[in-house]
Parts: sequence; C-alpha cells; structure tokens
Amino acid sequence: MSRPLLEVVGLTKSYPISGKGFFRTGRIPVLRGIDLTIAPGEVLGLVGESGSGKSTLGKTVLKLAELDAGTVRFDGRDLASLSKEQLRAVRKDMQIIFQDPYASLDPRKTIRAVLSEALDTHKLHMGERREPRLKELMEMVGLSPEFLGRLPHEFSGGQRQRVGIARAIAVEPRFIVADEAVSALDVSIQAQVLNLLADLRQKTGISLLFISHDLSVVRFISDRVMVLYLGRVMEIGPADDIHFNPAHPYTAALVSAEPGLTPKPGRVRLSGEIPSPANPPSGCVFRTRCPYAMDACAAEVPKLRRVGEARFSACIRDDIPNGAE
Amino acid sequence: MRFPRVSFPRRMILPSLLLVLLIGSMFAAPLLTSADPLQIAISKRLAGPSWAHPFGQDEFGRDRLARVLYGGQVSLSVAFLASFIATAIGTFIGLVGAYFRGPFEFVAMRVSDVVLFFPPILLALLVVTIFGPGVYTMIAVLALLYFPSFSRIAYSETLRVSSLDFVEASRALGTKPRRIVFSTVLPNILGAISVQFSLTAAATITVESGLSFLGLGVVPPAPSWGQMIRGARAMMEQDPLGLFVPCAALCVTIYSINLFCDRLRDVLDPKGLEDGKDSVSPTGKNGAAPAELADGNAAELRGLTLSLSRGKKAEPVDLVRDITLTLPRNQCTALVGESGSGKSLTSLALMGLLPSAIRPSSGHIAIERKSGAPVDLVSLAAKEAEKVRGNDIAMIFQEPMTSLNPVLKVGAQMVETLQAHRKTTSDEARKTCVAALDRVGIPEAERRFESYPHELSGGMRQRVMIAMALLCEPKVLIADEPTTALDVTIQAEIIDLLRDLRANQEAGLSMLFISHNLGIVADIADRVVVMYSGEIVEEGPAGDVLSDPHHPYTKALLESMPSLHDEKHSARGDRLGAIAGTPPLPQARLSGCAFRDRCPIARDACAETHPDLYLAADATRAARCLFAPDAANALKEAVS
Repeated sequence: MSRPLLEVVGLTKSYPISGKGFFRTGRIPVLRGIDLTIAPGEVLGLVGESGSGKSTLGKTVLKLAELDAGTVRFDGRDLASLSKEQLRAVRKDMQIIFQDPYASLDPRKTIRAVLSEALDTHKLHMGERREPRLKELMEMVGLSPEFLGRLPHEFSGGQRQRVGIARAIAVEPRFIVADEAVSALDVSIQAQVLNLLADLRQKTGISLLFISHDLSVVRFISDRVMVLYLGRVMEIGPADDIHFNPAHPYTAALVSAEPGLTPKPGRVRLSGEIPSPANPPSGCVFRTRCPYAMDACAAEVPKLRRVGEARFSACIRDDIPNGAE
Repeated sequence: MRFPRVSFPRRMILPSLLLVLLIGSMFAAPLLTSADPLQIAISKRLAGPSWAHPFGQDEFGRDRLARVLYGGQVSLSVAFLASFIATAIGTFIGLVGAYFRGPFEFVAMRVSDVVLFFPPILLALLVVTIFGPGVYTMIAVLALLYFPSFSRIAYSETLRVSSLDFVEASRALGTKPRRIVFSTVLPNILGAISVQFSLTAAATITVESGLSFLGLGVVPPAPSWGQMIRGARAMMEQDPLGLFVPCAALCVTIYSINLFCDRLRDVLDPKGLEDGKDSVSPTGKNGAAPAELADGNAAELRGLTLSLSRGKKAEPVDLVRDITLTLPRNQCTALVGESGSGKSLTSLALMGLLPSAIRPSSGHIAIERKSGAPVDLVSLAAKEAEKVRGNDIAMIFQEPMTSLNPVLKVGAQMVETLQAHRKTTSDEARKTCVAALDRVGIPEAERRFESYPHELSGGMRQRVMIAMALLCEPKVLIADEPTTALDVTIQAEIIDLLRDLRANQEAGLSMLFISHNLGIVADIADRVVVMYSGEIVEEGPAGDVLSDPHHPYTKALLESMPSLHDEKHSARGDRLGAIAGTPPLPQARLSGCAFRDRCPIARDACAETHPDLYLAADATRAARCLFAPDAANALKEAVS
C-alpha cells in the first residue's frame, strides 16, 4: 500500500466543562486513542450517533480544533510541527464541507466573493484567469455560472450545499472532510449531492473523510467505514462488509435500526441511553447497552482485533450473531 | 462584501430625509438666520416670538433660533464624534478579544469592566473636574463612557458569529485572521453595532446636555442645548418657550437618529424584510361552518386550499392546493414529501394552528372529538379550539426541546396539560402523569417526573412529548417528523413505541404520521399519501405504494434513497437515481403537471393538462399522473 495521505495515531481530545462546585472544572473526553489512515483517493466513512465524537474528529484532523495527544500526519508531515505559514499552505490541500447549508455561507457575501476568498487566499487563478475558473467551478457542481453574483439566501438548501462543495474544491485540495454534508438535505437532493461527490472523486481522485450518522449513505459513498461510539473505534473495515456482515454488536444494532422497506429479521435492540461521555463505562464503552455483554467486558478496554480481510473490531466475543442472516 | 443591490430602499427615505434636514438646518444656520447667537440685547430679554426672532429671545435677549441651531452644531458634533470614537474603539476591542481569545480576551474585557465599574455620571464629573470643562474633554469623556457597551456587544456577537460554519470554512481555507475578522466577522456584527450606535448617539446627546446643564460641558457663552435649558430653567414660569425649544430639538434629534439606525439595520440585513408582517389577523369565529365527517373517519380535509396572503399588492399564493385527505379511524396514515411540499401545513390546518398569514381559501376541515361530534379547528374561536387541542387531538413535533418549556420540570408541564382539560386533584394528576411516563417506557418515571427537560436525552424528551400528547387519551395524534432529530437506534425505539401505543390504546388512536423517510413510513403506516408541490400526487395502502409506486415522483423518491439500494456502491460506478432540479416554489409552479420538469417520462401532454388524482379500479389507490396505470381507464371513462 502506498503512503497514506492522512495518518492519525492515538488521537485524544477532550473539552473543558465546568464541574460540580463553583471553581472546579473538569474535562470531557470526546476522542480516546483514535488511529486511522486514509489512502490517496480513498473515501473513509465515519459513522456514529450524536456524542460519538465524529464531528470533533473531522475538525481535529484539519487542525481546526486542537488535540490533547496523538499525531495527525498529512502527506507525511506532522501538522503540529508546522509553522503558521506552513500550515496555511497545507490548508490548500485539505478542506471541509459542512452539514448546515444555511450556516456555512456568509449571508453577506455573493457566491463570487465566497469562491474568490478561497482562491485569493492561496493566490490561485489571479487576474484574468479568475472568471473562467469561477465559471468552471460552478459548472463542476452543477450550478449555472449566472448565479455567481447572487447572495446565499437566494438559493435552496441543495444549491447552497453545492456552493459549499465548490468552495471546498476551488483550491484543488487532495483531501476533504465532509461533515454530515448531506444530512440536512431532502432525499432527492441528497442523492444529487452524493452523486456529485462520487463523480468528483472519480474525476479528481480526491480523498474524503465522509462523516454521517446514516449508515446506508456512508456505505454507498465510502470504500471503508469506521464506526465510532463514545469516542472509541468499535469497528473498521470495507464498507459493504461492515454493512452486510457487521462484526461488532454496536454496528449490528446500527444496521438493524436502519429503516427499510422490508422488515429485517433478528433486529438487535439496544437498551438504555448513550452514557454521558463525562462518565463513560469501564472496559468496553458499549457494554451498558450491549445485548451480549458479559462480566469480562467491564474488565478492560477491548483492543481492535483483526476479524477478517482488512477488518478490525473492538469486541472480545466471536459468537455474536450479526443480524445479517 | 456587498450590500443588497437596491437603488435606495424606500424604508430609508423618511428617516434619511429627517436626519439630513435636521443636520442640514443646523450647519446651514448662517443661511437660515442672520442673528448672532452671542449678541446680547438686555432690553429685549425674554421677548416673545417676532419676525426677526421667530423663537423669541432668551434671558439675555439673545436670538433663540440662532442659539438652538448653533447649539445643535455643538451638541451633534460632540455626540457623533464621541459615539464614533466609542464605536471604533469598542468594536475593535470586542472583535479582537473574542476572535483571538486568550490574553486578548482578558485585556479587552477587563478594561471594559473597569470602566463599567464606575457610575457613569460620577466618572464624567471626575474627568471634567480634572481636565476642566470644554468640548474636547466632553468628547473624550463620552467616548470613554460608552466604549465598553460596544466592546461588550462586539464581543458577544463575534463569539456567536465565529462559531458559525462559514467562519470555520474561512479558517479551513487558511484565510489570514485579519481578513476573517474584518471582511467576514465585522460585516456580520454590524447590525447589532448600528443599533447600539443609535442608542449611544441618542444617549450622548442627552448626557452632553446634562453636563452642559450642570455647567460642566460647553463653556458659556457658547450655545448648547444643555446651556439653553440651564438658562431657561430659572425663568420657566414666565417663559416656558425657553425650555420648550431646546427640549423639542433634543426630542426630534434623538427620534430621528433612532429611526434612522433602526431602519438601517433592517436594510443591511441581506434577507431584507421580504417576509413582512402578518397581514391577516387570525380568524375568530367566522360563522363556524358546521363540520362534517364521513363515517369511519377520524379526521378529514376536503378540497382544502391554503393560501398565503402577500399584502395588498400581490396575489395570494396557494401553498396547498385542493387536498382531500382522510384519516380512517384507528389507522396510521403517513404523509410523505420533501420540504416545501406542504405536508406540515396540512397537519397544522388540522390542528387549527396555521400561521396568521396563511388561510384556507376553500375546503372543509373536520376532526372527530371524543364525543363523536366533528369540529373544524381553523374556524373555531381560539378559546374553544384550546379545549379541543390536547384533549381530542394532540401533536408531537420534530424537536422536543423546542416544544418543552426549559425552565419548568417535566412533571409540572404534564400536570398543567392534564389540568387544562380535566378537573383533578394534584395528587391524582401526578399519579396519572407518572403512569403516562411509565407507559412510554421511561425508566424510573417517578424520578423523571422531577427532571428538567435539559436533563433528559433527546430520545427521552421525545418520549415525554409522546406521554404528554397522550395524557388526555386523544383519538387523533399528529406526529410531525417525530424521529428526524434522533439517532437511528433511538429512532427505531420511538417507532416501536408509537406502534405499540397505537395497538394498546383502548379507545383507539388514529395517527397522521408526517415524514420524508419512506423506510420509516413502511415500518409504521397503514396508508401513505405522497405530496409534491402542495398537491397529493399519490395515495394508497403503504405496502402497495412503496412496492409498486404509480407516480414517477414516488418512484424517483424510492430510487434516490441509498438505504433501499444496498446493491449500489459509488466506487463501482453506480449512481443513485437522483431527481434532477429542485421542487418549484409555490408562486412559480408549472402549468399542467407540477412535476413535469423533473419527471423522466414527461411528454408534451403533461404541460397541457393538469392531471387529476386518478382512482384505481379497486378504489384503494390513486395517482396524479397521466401515465399512471389507472389514468388510462379514468380518461377513457371520462371520454365515454
């Protein structure tokens, strides 16, 4: 395998909170020891429920949020070791698409200004070459170049999301974090944007970290899928394998909770709520909701172990029915 | 940055004119009056208005018009200069402190705090006493007094704006902080700043007058409004005009500035004021048409058209067109469609909760009460409708947090709901509510009864909402995207819960379930109704419609859902069956079939005829498409 484009080792991140008592403050761990790699041209899907830390992971690998421990290497370079200027230059290669198409565009900037800011920052397509490039970008995301002079509120949600994508690809990045990029869209529009991302990826060979709570969307777009629960990796492996043959009980529960037209046999039901990240269960973080939990699950944090071709699961049991049969 | 391209907003004309007139007249004082504001004429002291001196003369016989105009120059210059300085300094401090945080934040905010620490007038007196009265001291004092309020506002607004995604996007692009702060954050906080500016400009004028009144401001004999009031105060019984003139000048000036800034803020908002105000008052009782209900139905909408009135000039727009929707008793009917399809409005019409600008322009609405009597909530008087809502018909929403009161305990809110409709003692009410919580699967219901909404997770809150909705055992429940905001595992639990509740409700429960997710609909609904652009385009038994859709829109929706296409994968070159384009806006609907521009099978005929909802031979399903399997029969019948 060639050198990974993005390599994350032991990433740990917590947020400060005000604890009990007046002056005491604590920290909530959001990500605990995450390892991941993304190869050039690969799409890694990141699934998890709210509170799993998936958005934080997306921002941390882009160095939009600081990490507590661990390293993020982009193209072989440790982001923490870069100077401000170097980091700014690296930012050209890594971009982000946001969930909310209404909050992600400055309501006071025209689409031309939004896209120009991206190009200005990295001194790309300056002067006369600017206008053709803007038009090209608009066409790439399926918008009419006539819309360049418009303000964001003149667009529908799907169109805004296309503008967000155009902004991200304007600087020709090699890696994009798509943070719930299609979650706020209507299904028909969601399909358009997913197709657009799939096309982009095919044409430009871009790598994606595709974050979503919707397993079926992630399965469709990703090569590999990583399942996150309470800041820990539960399972990682090829997308179709994870979806059709989950190894971890949490993944199995996620898959079987997906609404579908035909009722699924052997639905895995979870009990209880996601525990508070401030006070996570000992051992396996999932054990409090896991239908297969044993005493041993509380003893120590299960390591990711190989369960198949390029597949790893953080469950100590091998005898879990996976809901796929 | 670009402001909306409007030549000159009409709303700005009046305030601008007023302000220009005011400032213009003050600075054009030499043209308006030849009198010298300092020329004393003792013999004419306190003379009334005359041609030479329209506002009369003051206690030294000086021309009052001249003094008010020249005094205004001083007052306004001081006020505006001080406000500008305060705005610039305060905004800068707040921006930098909030954007860069850390030491910047500490310094910026503590400096402001220290100034805020002093009572303002005391601080002003102190500075003036030290440096001596005079115009420049005054400007410095006022700027010092007012910059903390700007830094506070700039600070909190910057914090808000900085957390928005578009600022994050700029950071992700590697844009320099200076550019982000001044070209992205600053324009977005200007609205709040301009409002604060108007308040400050007005306040500085008053404080300036106050200080001059106390003899600490503008040094006599130079005119200023405060000076004039000070002079006239002693004589106010003989010569009330002396007091009135400067006071009137103060009022008019402050009003004009406030009006100007208020309108300016509206105009700077890029979304403008398109929405406008509610132009139609809610109907009270307009001779409530007797509601009718066919046998076996729990609720009905017949030929309902909902129109949005757009003021006097524009034609009203039909948001929902000629909908006939029936909720068979004890069944779950799902209403499916994309945002803007009118599905939520339809449900609000059933509840009688339409926004005031939206009115039914035709059609009938009816819901069955527990007594069996049908009722139309839209035409019912508000008081009567309240008795029905929550008692006979209840609704649950997408985001339970916004529908629960955050400062009241869950239990208290439930008891309140119950007691609104039923006379019970508080002990009994408590028992009923705890039982209701228990029934929706909330563990430790007794303890949860005492919880505040924020102490519950999203799934628990939705369970509380459901418990509350079912408290009075309504016969009809409307669920508007109740699981959209929830995680999938929780969503599955809530759907299970709703299904169980429906099966176990003794008196029976008819449900209208609104969703955009066809998978969930398949899970819970007996019948499904698909809406597009304000119309029903297909309806029928859920299983039949979802497995064999007749309308191309329903077909396309099913095609576009990745969860229904496990065989497809983007890496293998597969693409989802997306529907090209976007749904039309209600004011720009196409002639003929509203879906035809996005429809893969559209022909010329689709532009010419507006298709009916063609009923299938077995009368269980219908589709609004010329090429639906049943349309051909229907057309033939119509012809023969």
